[in-house]
Amino acid sequence: MTQPAPAAPVAPPAAAPAPAGRVRRVVWWPVRRWLGRGQRIARRVASAAYARWRRSIQVRVVTSTLFISAIVVAILGFFLMQQITTALMDGKTKAALAQLDEGLGSLQRDVGVSNDSGDRLRSAANGLKSRSGPSGLYEVYVRDTTQVYIDGYATNELRAQSVPQRLRDELRSGTTGTRAYTYGKLSYTGHRPSERGLIVAGKTSHYEVYYLFALSQEQHTLTIVSRSLAGVGIVLVLLLAAIASLVTRQVVIPVRLAAQGAQRLAAGRLEERMRVRGEDDLARLARSFNDMAANLQEKIRELEDLSQVQRQFVSDVSHELRTPLTTIRIAADMLYEHRDTFDDPAVGRSAELLQSQLERFESLLADLLEISRHDAGAATLDAESLDMRDLVLRTVGDVQGLAERKGSKVVLQLPGEPCMAEVDRRRVERILRNLLVNAVEHGEGEDIVVSVAADRDAVAVTVRDHGVGLKPGEGQMVFDRFWRADPARARTTGGTGLGLSISKEDAQLHGGWLQAWGEPSQGSQFRLSLPRTAGAELRGSPLPLVPPGAGGSRPLFAELEAGD
Amino acid sequence: MRRCLESPARRWGSALRGPAAVVTAAALTLGASGCAAMPGGGRVTSVKAQERSEQADESYVRLIPVAPRDNWSPQDIVSGFLAASASFDDDHRVAKEYLANPNGWRPGPRPSIAVFADRPNPTLTPGTNDDQATISLEGIQLGIITPDGQYTAFQKKVRVDYQLTRNAQHQWRISALPDALGQTMLLNKSDVEQVFRTFNLYYFAPDKQTLVPNGVFLPLVNREDLPKRLVQAVISGPTSWLRGAVWSAFPRGTKLNGLSLDKDVATVDLSKEAANGDVNQMSAQLAWSLGPLSEIKQWRLRIEGRGVVTPDGKSDVQTFGDWQANSPDGITVDGHRAYTIGAAGHLSTLGLNNFIPMPVVTNAPGRMIRPAVSPAQHEAAGLSPDGKQLLLIDDITTNGVPHVLRTAKDPEGRFTPPCWDRQGTLWTVETSPGKSMLWKREPGKPLKPVWHWGLDGREIYALQVARDGVRVAVVAKIDGRKQVQLGRIAGSGDRIDAGSFVPVSSELAETDDLSWRDYNTLAVLGRKTLDTQVLPYLMPVDGSAVTSLGVGSLGEPVSIAAVSGGPVLIGTKGSSQRLVCHQSAFRDRDSEWACSVAGSDPTYAF
Repeated sequence: MTQPAPAAPVAPPAAAPAPAGRVRRVVWWPVRRWLGRGQRIARRVASAAYARWRRSIQVRVVTSTLFISAIVVAILGFFLMQQITTALMDGKTKAALAQLDEGLGSLQRDVGVSNDSGDRLRSAANGLKSRSGPSGLYEVYVRDTTQVYIDGYATNELRAQSVPQRLRDELRSGTTGTRAYTYGKLSYTGHRPSERGLIVAGKTSHYEVYYLFALSQEQHTLTIVSRSLAGVGIVLVLLLAAIASLVTRQVVIPVRLAAQGAQRLAAGRLEERMRVRGEDDLARLARSFNDMAANLQEKIRELEDLSQVQRQFVSDVSHELRTPLTTIRIAADMLYEHRDTFDDPAVGRSAELLQSQLERFESLLADLLEISRHDAGAATLDAESLDMRDLVLRTVGDVQGLAERKGSKVVLQLPGEPCMAEVDRRRVERILRNLLVNAVEHGEGEDIVVSVAADRDAVAVTVRDHGVGLKPGEGQMVFDRFWRADPARARTTGGTGLGLSISKEDAQLHGGWLQAWGEPSQGSQFRLSLPRTAGAELRGSPLPLVPPGAGGSRPLFAELEAGD
Repeated sequence: MRRCLESPARRWGSALRGPAAVVTAAALTLGASGCAAMPGGGRVTSVKAQERSEQADESYVRLIPVAPRDNWSPQDIVSGFLAASASFDDDHRVAKEYLANPNGWRPGPRPSIAVFADRPNPTLTPGTNDDQATISLEGIQLGIITPDGQYTAFQKKVRVDYQLTRNAQHQWRISALPDALGQTMLLNKSDVEQVFRTFNLYYFAPDKQTLVPNGVFLPLVNREDLPKRLVQAVISGPTSWLRGAVWSAFPRGTKLNGLSLDKDVATVDLSKEAANGDVNQMSAQLAWSLGPLSEIKQWRLRIEGRGVVTPDGKSDVQTFGDWQANSPDGITVDGHRAYTIGAAGHLSTLGLNNFIPMPVVTNAPGRMIRPAVSPAQHEAAGLSPDGKQLLLIDDITTNGVPHVLRTAKDPEGRFTPPCWDRQGTLWTVETSPGKSMLWKREPGKPLKPVWHWGLDGREIYALQVARDGVRVAVVAKIDGRKQVQLGRIAGSGDRIDAGSFVPVSSELAETDDLSWRDYNTLAVLGRKTLDTQVLPYLMPVDGSAVTSLGVGSLGEPVSIAAVSGGPVLIGTKGSSQRLVCHQSAFRDRDSEWACSVAGSDPTYAF
């Protein structure tokens, strides 16, 4: 995972209950619990959704389709509503102005320019109003500009405040025949709620006439239209999402199948193939995939065969070499026994040389056989329950002579109680001997510390020397075949170069680890960790790989786990 | 290669899946926009008529007053105040701005009004100094409207004085209203016509069964408050005109707690005093009074918020139809029975389907004119041909002979055509020029003059008691004109008071005869000012406009008979013979008159 885990949408933390008052706490407690639960659920849902989002192309495509189409539909709907509103209002305004012209005409006919016009104006207002019929399409407000004590006449519950001052000012400053309209809020006496309206106004010589059209019908129409638009928009968006889902599904399912196939292939099931359906791009993908799988299978099989042949060859060569070697050995033994009898001391010297190199050759051959057995998977574990302390003591006993010759002293740190483990005696002794011999050979005469420890699951043995140590990177290379710490060193000293490799294979056969630590001039330490029960998985080691006190700021170690 | 050649159609299909959706969407959009066009054809849809349009539903005009401006003179202030008084908005808020002490004047929603002919001109009386002024008004007062809504006309010349002072802002304000008016408001006639509407409130006749309409003037301040105002008016009792003659089911002290309207169902909540009243009768009164309001279709009565179930099993929600039994017109069980004097002078029934007179009394033809048959259809009253004798047939079913009940005392005296009321009481007026006397005869009792008769100094031409038995319409000679007046009969037993006569309409110059069409309408024979011919008219008693009835030639109409839900019958006098006319389709007010029945003096017996 390269991306950080999603931050779950965090609900606002519940306000901490005031410490005063038990009642409040009692009240708050379930609320907080609920909030907490809600928060948890929300977080879980969010992380699940995010996981789905990350893992599924389909979800991503559908979500983005939903999102984008929703935005597009919303913008379209907004402009559509604007258009409809404009069209509606244009029509209304046109009709209202026509009504105003007609009303002004009839007002001039009815009222004329007579002086005492109060009552006639009133009846004219009524006449104008009654022409709209009982549906209450509009209200009328008529003013006689010559009247001082009466502002005007309004129909029904209309309040004079419904006519905005700006419209009055417009008419006052205008000449006869001025027409104007505006939108405003119509207010009424009594409990009737105010509503929005269109107000058109006209002026004759004496009179100002205001027609106030309530826009509730238009509002109703717009509400219906906007609701239907919203409904259609939602359906459209969902439809688009469904289509996107369908289309992606057709693409995603073969891709998923391909992914599954690749996974199986990676898991080693080389016979896995995809089903080829149809002729389209996906079918081509499947075909290419199948071709690739077939090629891979072929190549891997070839490689396996090759490696098998090589291993067989090494094994065969080792076996074949044994027979002549035995004969040579007999002859060499005889020569060696009689070396004193040769006149030429150089011949005796050669016999000795022959003898030692033959021993070396034999052990090399034995190691080769052993390692080829490991390579062929033919090595078997002959496990029995043993005390690791005994094994360590025996091996140390074997190496004691060599150590004394080198001037090293082997220091044992053994626990008081037995460290029982199910191990193959021969292999563990071989490992220990290898480690000890290595330590003695590279120990520069310093002390060699062997520690044994055990815990519930595992036992461990460390072998610490204080020799030249290991250079950076050598911690792993020590286990390579035929690897030497100092290539210039004579091949006569030291082992075959296969010892540590075999030891590692042996440790891994037990399900254990063999690890090395070392620093230049600080010496090195090898640690063998084995599970107490044969074949059990090893989780940790009772002893540290880096010896305490040693190790600089940058300990170098190799954690090569068995079975990796 | 083989793959590429294989079924290109399928490859196309998959490649086109996305674009295809777009194309489909575009096609759908185009189709939808095609649907948006207005229909240019299609089948005919019939639509029901809109709601009935009552007087209360008509739009009205409100005066918008101006608040007093700066530096107005005292005359301006008084004129502005008078104009602003006509605006009832927000409890005369603007008018109060003209007063030095706005809270001293509380006109309330139903103030008393002094009605002036014109808006009088204010004049400044001498003795004005810089801080005090007196403005006097002189004008002709036509009448007053009392707070209960009764208009009483009495014309007189009135002079009132307004006192003005300057307020803190050095503006003139009215400090004292005229003492002569008190809280009464001064409005001119056109203001009153604009602000006030007449509504019928309904109260029970003394029989506590029939409702009597009581026309009142209510200010139409706000259409929404109207139901509430109406209910309050009903509860507060009849106007002075009907007081004593009718009876209200609402116990004294009852108040309206509230009236709410939910769609078309009104809920009337009365105070707890109403619990002592008869729910049925209260409901009937409310139902009939609220009837003209089109926004209320149904309603329920509550007392102190608790629902009242009417005792005779009607549901909580009442409709106006539930109270038809209390109609002021009474209820007719088996249709109307019309009578007439046949061509041969016999009292005959007149079938309302075929209009053929069938004689019922064959004795003594020609002795009786202007018959009136009692509600029980046993007795028939009438006049002698010269009108000086009141005749009565005791039992028309047994072919009785008319006998004289009374002969007019005065040599010029005569009787108006008799009429019966619902209880079977016979009413008639004995009249002579400048004099009249009302007689009544209760069933089985002798003819008696009533205790008080309000028109005893007038000559009476016709008298008809309304079917509610309380109101009485007469044609009386007043100011040299035969005009229709409406009075009421109050009291009981021997102390009967028939009086409080008020004019109904001034649209007709002369009226000859009248008959109650329904509780709100009189069918009259009259003449408009510029006409020469007497024609039938319908005259609403609430003072609204008189309308003509029927078209076509009628000859010379003499008598008229009408009934609710039946044809108007007119007796005419031609050159050769007397005919009874009826409308060819009586439900259509403008249908033609058909004068085919030979006969005279048609009448309805309830």
